[in-house]
Amino acid sequence: MSAAPRSLIRPVVRVVLRVGGTVLPVMLGVVTAVFFLLRLVPGDPAVMILGDRATPQALAELRAELGLDAPLWRQYADFVGGVLTRGDTGDSLVTGVPTAELVLSRAPVSLGIVALALVLVLAIAVPLALAAANRPGGWVDQVVRIVPTITLGMPLFWIGLLLIIVFAVGLGWFPVGGVGSPGSAPLEPLRSLVLPALAVALGMAPPLIRSLRAQLLEVTEAEFVTTLRAARIPERQIRWRHVLRGAALPTLNLLSVNLAYLIGGTLVVEKVFGINGLGTLLFQSISSRDFPVVQAVALYCAILVVLVTLVARLASALIDPRLRGAR
Amino acid sequence: MTTTSRRAVVALALAATLGLAGCAPAAQGDGAEPNPTAGGTLTYGRLASANDLDLHTQITANNAFAIDKIFESLVSFDEHGKIVDWLAKSHEISEDGLTYTFTLRDGLKYSDGTDVNATDVKFSLERNLAKEGPLMLTAPISEIAADDDAGTVVITLSEAYTPFLSELTSFSAGVMPKDFGGKTEDDFFTAPIGTGPFAIGEWDPAGDLNLVKNEHYWQDGKPLLDGLDYVFVADDNQLLQRLNAGQIDAIEQVPAANAESVEKGDTTKLLKSDSWAIEQIFFNTQKPEFADAHVRRAIAQALDLPGITQATTFGTARAASSLIPPAIEYSAADAFDAEPVLAYDVDSARQELAKSAFTDGFEATMLIPSGNSARAQIAQVVQESLAPLGIDVQIEAIDLASFRERFKAFDYDFMINSGQSDAPDPNGLVTFQADPEGFSNSFWTHYTNPEVTKLMHEGRTTADGPEREQIYTGIQRILASDVPYIPVYYSPNLHGTTAKVHGLESLPNGSVRFQDAWVEAK
Repeated sequence: MSAAPRSLIRPVVRVVLRVGGTVLPVMLGVVTAVFFLLRLVPGDPAVMILGDRATPQALAELRAELGLDAPLWRQYADFVGGVLTRGDTGDSLVTGVPTAELVLSRAPVSLGIVALALVLVLAIAVPLALAAANRPGGWVDQVVRIVPTITLGMPLFWIGLLLIIVFAVGLGWFPVGGVGSPGSAPLEPLRSLVLPALAVALGMAPPLIRSLRAQLLEVTEAEFVTTLRAARIPERQIRWRHVLRGAALPTLNLLSVNLAYLIGGTLVVEKVFGINGLGTLLFQSISSRDFPVVQAVALYCAILVVLVTLVARLASALIDPRLRGAR
Repeated sequence: MTTTSRRAVVALALAATLGLAGCAPAAQGDGAEPNPTAGGTLTYGRLASANDLDLHTQITANNAFAIDKIFESLVSFDEHGKIVDWLAKSHEISEDGLTYTFTLRDGLKYSDGTDVNATDVKFSLERNLAKEGPLMLTAPISEIAADDDAGTVVITLSEAYTPFLSELTSFSAGVMPKDFGGKTEDDFFTAPIGTGPFAIGEWDPAGDLNLVKNEHYWQDGKPLLDGLDYVFVADDNQLLQRLNAGQIDAIEQVPAANAESVEKGDTTKLLKSDSWAIEQIFFNTQKPEFADAHVRRAIAQALDLPGITQATTFGTARAASSLIPPAIEYSAADAFDAEPVLAYDVDSARQELAKSAFTDGFEATMLIPSGNSARAQIAQVVQESLAPLGIDVQIEAIDLASFRERFKAFDYDFMINSGQSDAPDPNGLVTFQADPEGFSNSFWTHYTNPEVTKLMHEGRTTADGPEREQIYTGIQRILASDVPYIPVYYSPNLHGTTAKVHGLESLPNGSVRFQDAWVEAK
């Protein structure tokens, strides 16, 4: 193991550089696309703020105050300029609160769901795939192959509703929604994140289970396993150290590809559970045409996806010896 | 979990809930109400956050119903829309209708303990006029005089304007300290000071709002609550589930489809009141087909409004027969119910259409905002009902922001929307929906009728009484016969509470008064 750190430095640097090199163009692309797509959609923020009964003068005054009467290229230049020079994504049109502040205050709860969902999806997928691959074609395998396909077909909000009806309203094990109240027990917020995270995890698990199961079976058939068996290495050791490791890599890749689903799913599920996180902020801001907030949420989510992708690539590099070589 | 076992669990859970509801003692709440207890906090679930508390620039419900907890006006209204003295202990209107004299209550204080005086009222009303916000006083005010020693405010109008008193009931006519109590305008409205039963505690403009008891409130011993938490819940189903689970004490809005289950639930209660809102079908009279009054009349006669109302509001609303809802004075709803101006009659509808220039029918698109299931259902019934006349209706559902942009640009054929009065006087609705000179162009229908315009002006200057009633009945009759819009139903306010909550007062503008509210210990 002593040689490992040195052999790791180059591939890690390479992965970081490669991902880092894509960050800026990705960010600029996201910012630009969101900026112009938002403005293609009809709907006036001033009308949404002042309501149906606002006089045309009041609307015009508000538009001027919010800078919405400036030409589009000017608004775009101001926004991109603010992001690049000061890292400033502007203020919310509706509340006047800096968008970065809004995003930061909502991020912890959303990230909590993402993290918990990630843990849950692994806790669901790995044992099930192992159990299924243990005896291919057996009844466990059949069940594991069929049942998850059913949740795959369910819309996420519906899974969420079912969980609420059964575990929150019916059994009362978890809160119906929200993230605890100021006076509640310290663990209360965590408890209220379980159902939303489970909903995301259940939606995400089926492809993972299927992939992991297929990989496990494929690796079990591989020549090196036969060789290990011939060398009389204990079966348990073969399975845990070699087979699972060999199968983990493609699954990890699949997981990183599914990150967008994970984050997107979290945003959707927040509404079902009435959680005031980034997703709710995004929905709220889209319907009120609060452009800067939508732009900021999109930008920060893109940064998040890029960062997590980086972590996933690094993890792959650590697991797969082939990626460490100079290729 | 397999599907069967999941279904079994769901079925069990549902059965358990229903079973419990079935054996609940029906008499709960019917007998002696428990004695009110002071203290505690009430959590109130709402679908939108309060994001701005400036009483002079706001109108939307999310902000209005937070602002009206903090600021109060000289006069207010009760749950039936009747005007009552509020910060003023009395008011007098001169014989000619030009001079209004208000005498403030003794010992009025703001939530920070400072005194309220007449100069504050003058300052507040003058800011209302200067801001030209969506709820600006439209009365022709020529002078506001304040006498701090006598505690009186005298407002003089340049000409008689009968709706003035009702305009003063608005939260935007609320009283705040002169010169913002020495603060800057921005600072003041982040933690505003008023005479209302509650003051701002903690506030997240994109999330929850925590209100605390105003210790100096002028109504002795009130509010009973120590705190009132406005909890933001973005989804109406989630809102309802949390009420059912007892996780929140009351919710601002119960979907009509769930009203019955909330009313009959053993842990929940339904709070219902008449409102100032009317669900309506509006015609763009710039479209040649809808410019033809015969076409509009034919459509009105082809629609079974009581049937539509029953089906889409689950029996919670009353079908409309006139523009002014029953919770506003001079509503002709009762009279027109007894003797409809245009009754549901498909044969008459056919004959009416035959008189138009579009005897063979035509195509039209009905615009509705998406995500509103009642409106989607109404649109479908309209589509079905007009097909026999040869009117081919397409339904276009778009999101609210786009919807508003479209109708304000007159880019629509006909649409479903709601009209709402802000005050208990018929003038507001009539002005907004039938004034071709106003910015709303008769609620973007472009409807113009000189007779209505003339009566509208008379209604504003005629003193309350039988003569004024006759004017508004006349306006309602012309509108019901000319049909620039079809009032479909008077929307009720539907709030839900848990069985432990008492003393909420539902107001016709959709707000709720909490000064008498209290929650049984949990």
